[in-house]
Amino acid sequence: MILLDRVSKSYNKKGIALERISLHVEPKEFVIIVGTSGAGKSTLLKLLTREEKPTSGKIIVGGIDYERLKDKDIPYLRRKIGVVFQDFKLLPGKTVFENVAFALEIVGLSNKEIRHTVPKVLDLVGLKGKADNYPGELSGGERQRVAIARAVVRQPKILIADEPTGNLDPKHAWDVIRVLEKINHYGTTVLLTTHNQEIVNKLKRRVITITDGHIVSDKSGGSYK
Amino acid sequence: MKRKLISLLRIIRSGGNNFIRNAWLSIAATAVMMVALTIILSAVVLNVTARNAVKELSKKIKVTVYLKDDVSEPRRTIIMSRLKAEQGVDDVAYVDRREAERRFKTNVSDGDKVFIEQALALTGNTTLPESLEVSLTDLSKSGAVVKVAKEDGYKDAVDDVSVGKNDVAKETIERATSAQKYIVRGSIFAAVLFAAVSVLIIFNTIRMAIFTRGEEIRIMKLIGATPNYIRGPFLVESCMYGIIAGILANVSVYTAILSLGPKLQNQAEFAQSYNFFTSTGMMFLLLFASVFLGIIVGIVSSLLAMHKHLKLKHW
Repeated sequence: MILLDRVSKSYNKKGIALERISLHVEPKEFVIIVGTSGAGKSTLLKLLTREEKPTSGKIIVGGIDYERLKDKDIPYLRRKIGVVFQDFKLLPGKTVFENVAFALEIVGLSNKEIRHTVPKVLDLVGLKGKADNYPGELSGGERQRVAIARAVVRQPKILIADEPTGNLDPKHAWDVIRVLEKINHYGTTVLLTTHNQEIVNKLKRRVITITDGHIVSDKSGGSYK
Repeated sequence: MKRKLISLLRIIRSGGNNFIRNAWLSIAATAVMMVALTIILSAVVLNVTARNAVKELSKKIKVTVYLKDDVSEPRRTIIMSRLKAEQGVDDVAYVDRREAERRFKTNVSDGDKVFIEQALALTGNTTLPESLEVSLTDLSKSGAVVKVAKEDGYKDAVDDVSVGKNDVAKETIERATSAQKYIVRGSIFAAVLFAAVSVLIIFNTIRMAIFTRGEEIRIMKLIGATPNYIRGPFLVESCMYGIIAGILANVSVYTAILSLGPKLQNQAEFAQSYNFFTSTGMMFLLLFASVFLGIIVGIVSSLLAMHKHLKLKHW
């Protein structure tokens, strides 16, 4: 599903963010990427969403070779990858329903299709009955679940969650993780970056540790200390 | 195809929402563009009116070619044909003695009549001479017509040549011609100035809208919106400025034409222009032209703003 072959990323004068990273993620896998701040986790995810271009190396996601990817094709790539951010990135002026519907509107789905799909996804993330609320009226955990609903409403093959529990208390953090597990259970490949030791250790999934731009460990059922 | 149509409708709706959301900026941008378009439209109207007025007044200035006694008809016809062939000549009319006398009785005051009759008696003539009246479409060609009439080849038939019946009319034409030049120059300057101001204001309005919607645009990019889907609403918004400004400019110019027109319509110099601008076809043409121009100005301004601030090339 995801293949990185000796991928490096360096920013001018700021040094190297990632150096010769090689990685292979199977379909339907749940992979946790851990590492200290500045280790290169977010850069790795930005390479996958094509917010950044690698300095060298090969990236293939869902059969798409990024070297051959043209700028005009990037939106269509992003429609195949769901992304969840630490700061939610919800639009405060739109309701929960509208925030989720937004992802379907940009691909040209009809209002009827949107009205049919969005409630199902809100139900999946446990936000039934919150459709008409604005993000400001929700708790942090609920907001993050809205963001997850928006990321998965188009049924992407891959879901990238960049520290989705970073701003949440333990209870809400686990609510979000349970939703991610559920989505993974339905067949979506999940890439999760986190600092939260408890979550990593309890999930017992594949854990990739990045330090100073290098993968220093890659273990199934791994832990984080 | 259906999805593209739905996306297009959403882009238009989003552009409309932006227009309403930034109401004050939208009103300012539309108002300045309306002023620019009104100036441009007024310039067109004034220019055409001035040109028509000059043309109409020019017809009143005639070159009169006085013929000697007993010029044969074939000879007169040859001279008339030669004069008609000259550039800027509208018509050449033959005025016989009887017609000259009739006009004399109608147009000249009693005091002048006595004076002219005495003058004619002194020169041995009892009647007024035959003449050819040359109407002009272009006043500047009168010199050329006089030159033709005074050619050696026509000395046997042409007695004298006189330009202009009315010095006041001639002066009016010269003033109108000069005013027309100033109207054209002044309106080009004002139109360029206001067009530049409206480009700047629309540029700024779109820039503000881009900043206001910065987070939304970033999210749109991340969840797979195409550049056209992101740009579309800004283009729609700026087109709306152009459409509304174009319509309002037309309404203001036509309000002026329709309110002033009937008062001036009795004067031949303005009647033609009034009829020209109030024909249905011309009304629609000017409306279309001003809306089109407004849309172009709007699109150019917003494209400039998006090129500078939207950064869609760097995904």
